[in-house]
Amino acid sequence: MKDAAVLASPVGARSRLERNVTAMAPDAAGTAQIQLTPDEEAVLAGSEGPVLQKVMRTVVQYGEALGAERLVDISGNGHLVIAYAIPGIAPSLEMLEELVAAGLRTKYPFTLDPRPPLDYDNWALEGWQLEVLNDMYRDQERYEDLLLQLGLRDADAYTCRPFLEEVGNVPKAGDILAWSESACVVYANSVLGARTNRNGAIMDLLCNVAGKVPLSGLLVDDARRATWRIEVRTAELPLPQLLGAAIGRRVLADVPLVTGLERFLSADLEAPTRDYLNEMGTACATAGAVGLFHVEGITPEAVAQGTDVLAADHRTSVIDDDMLAALTASYPVLWRDPEARPEKCYLGCPHISAAQIEWWARSITAALRAQGQARIKVPTTLCAAPQTLARLGAAASALRDLEAAGVRLSAGCPMQLFDDDLAAGSAIITNSTKLRTYTNARFFPDRRIVEILIGGEV
Amino acid sequence: MLLTFKGRPVLPGNVSGVAVVSHGGFNTYASFFASIHEPSDEAICADSGNADLYGRDLADKVLCVPSTTGSTSGGAVWQRLIEMGNAPKALLFAKAIDSLAAGGLIVADVWAGRRIVVVDRLGDAFLETVVHGDALTIGEDGGVVIRRTGA
Repeated sequence: MKDAAVLASPVGARSRLERNVTAMAPDAAGTAQIQLTPDEEAVLAGSEGPVLQKVMRTVVQYGEALGAERLVDISGNGHLVIAYAIPGIAPSLEMLEELVAAGLRTKYPFTLDPRPPLDYDNWALEGWQLEVLNDMYRDQERYEDLLLQLGLRDADAYTCRPFLEEVGNVPKAGDILAWSESACVVYANSVLGARTNRNGAIMDLLCNVAGKVPLSGLLVDDARRATWRIEVRTAELPLPQLLGAAIGRRVLADVPLVTGLERFLSADLEAPTRDYLNEMGTACATAGAVGLFHVEGITPEAVAQGTDVLAADHRTSVIDDDMLAALTASYPVLWRDPEARPEKCYLGCPHISAAQIEWWARSITAALRAQGQARIKVPTTLCAAPQTLARLGAAASALRDLEAAGVRLSAGCPMQLFDDDLAAGSAIITNSTKLRTYTNARFFPDRRIVEILIGGEV
Repeated sequence: MLLTFKGRPVLPGNVSGVAVVSHGGFNTYASFFASIHEPSDEAICADSGNADLYGRDLADKVLCVPSTTGSTSGGAVWQRLIEMGNAPKALLFAKAIDSLAAGGLIVADVWAGRRIVVVDRLGDAFLETVVHGDALTIGEDGGVVIRRTGA
């Protein structure tokens, strides 16, 4: 920065100046200046104090950059991605303190992504890794306390599956939201029929504090039309994260209508279908930048609009078994020693439901019994929402079976175990194409994972 | 030789600097995750998936990209780079700025108080023309001039 940095001028003056400059510039896309209500103008002029003024200025500039004609009111709870107090990912503590000191909080409560993996006992970590994590998360407690003051729903509201019944952050169709976490954005839009863009960390919080979000992108009807028709022509129901990865690669940031899944999934969005679409959407959002998909005959906008959900000039693409096999084969092995025995296995990215946990318990227990074996051979951590683990812990034998088999359960997120070279080159396996994308973990389908856990080798 | 392009000033300013160019989507967090830990004069691109930029120093440069990609958790990176002193001088987008980049850059601008100049909608022809090392002059009206000597 140094000499060339443009220093900011005082708060109010700069806002007006910038808005004028933006409006006067010849505009390639022909977008008009954003129109604000008198109330919004007043906040922008400082009627509610300088900090909310700054919040509003940030949201208004965001709207101008996105070409929004106006702001709209947020109508439901938030879900935000910023669960980790790591500088460069989290907002600075000073910024959060500035918001808290001004008495600001989000208009509706919010949930957050999973906590970092600070429940060390569940992750089979070595001493040096604990030291790195302790240093990395030295501000975590203070950070969580600030987020509670800013509107975090409760001290356990940490999961990437907030819309599970037991977690209870379930948006209604038509709700206007400012969510982040790509996996949650795509589910809220696609399966629940709510409306949110893929907002980035910090902007998500500031929109929810302002209670306003720019009317743009996936908040607008036209942008919710499918520009791709993706025909699934597999013999059986494909693995959801593999199908999602294939769709994401194909359509990138576009909206697909997926056909052919109605052969396998029930039309009434019951729990197994919701689990499937959550996994598929997570992978779509990771492999591409998909914020909304439709599934013919299943998701609400596809059901309500029929073929009208397709844009007239849409493109068509087919996904078959050969293509999914080729995709799996294309994933490089990023282990230091590609022939190594797996050192660890991480399951539950994204967090899985009670029914999915029960599937792993049944499958692992049956496979162990078939081998006359008591415990699995690869240290394994399975992640789910704290509320899901609490609900299962009270009633079901699934958790006991998993623990007896040697599986550890955590409400954390494995992603952060790859930061700062914590797991560079380690032989880690996962069933998540999302975790695979961001780390050196190696992807295997669910049933193959069970075999590897029992046998101890790939 | 002078080549001029016109875009939309998102965060306007008058700056000059040296171009670094990514022809594919710029993954913000993957590029900078190694550059946000301590004050520094350099920001070496750490995204091994970006053949154009991997290993290049992006600090104090004019970063030319089509748009950005990557995790929604990448929003705080820009503000952190500004605080660490190794942010790019300006960002030039061929396409309309994406919501992740807009969010992160505007938050940094308003809350860190130091500006990374941003111009978007410069068009695909801009990205086909500009090359690493070009001297660029950006005006607050969104004009971008590429200056090459001896060409």
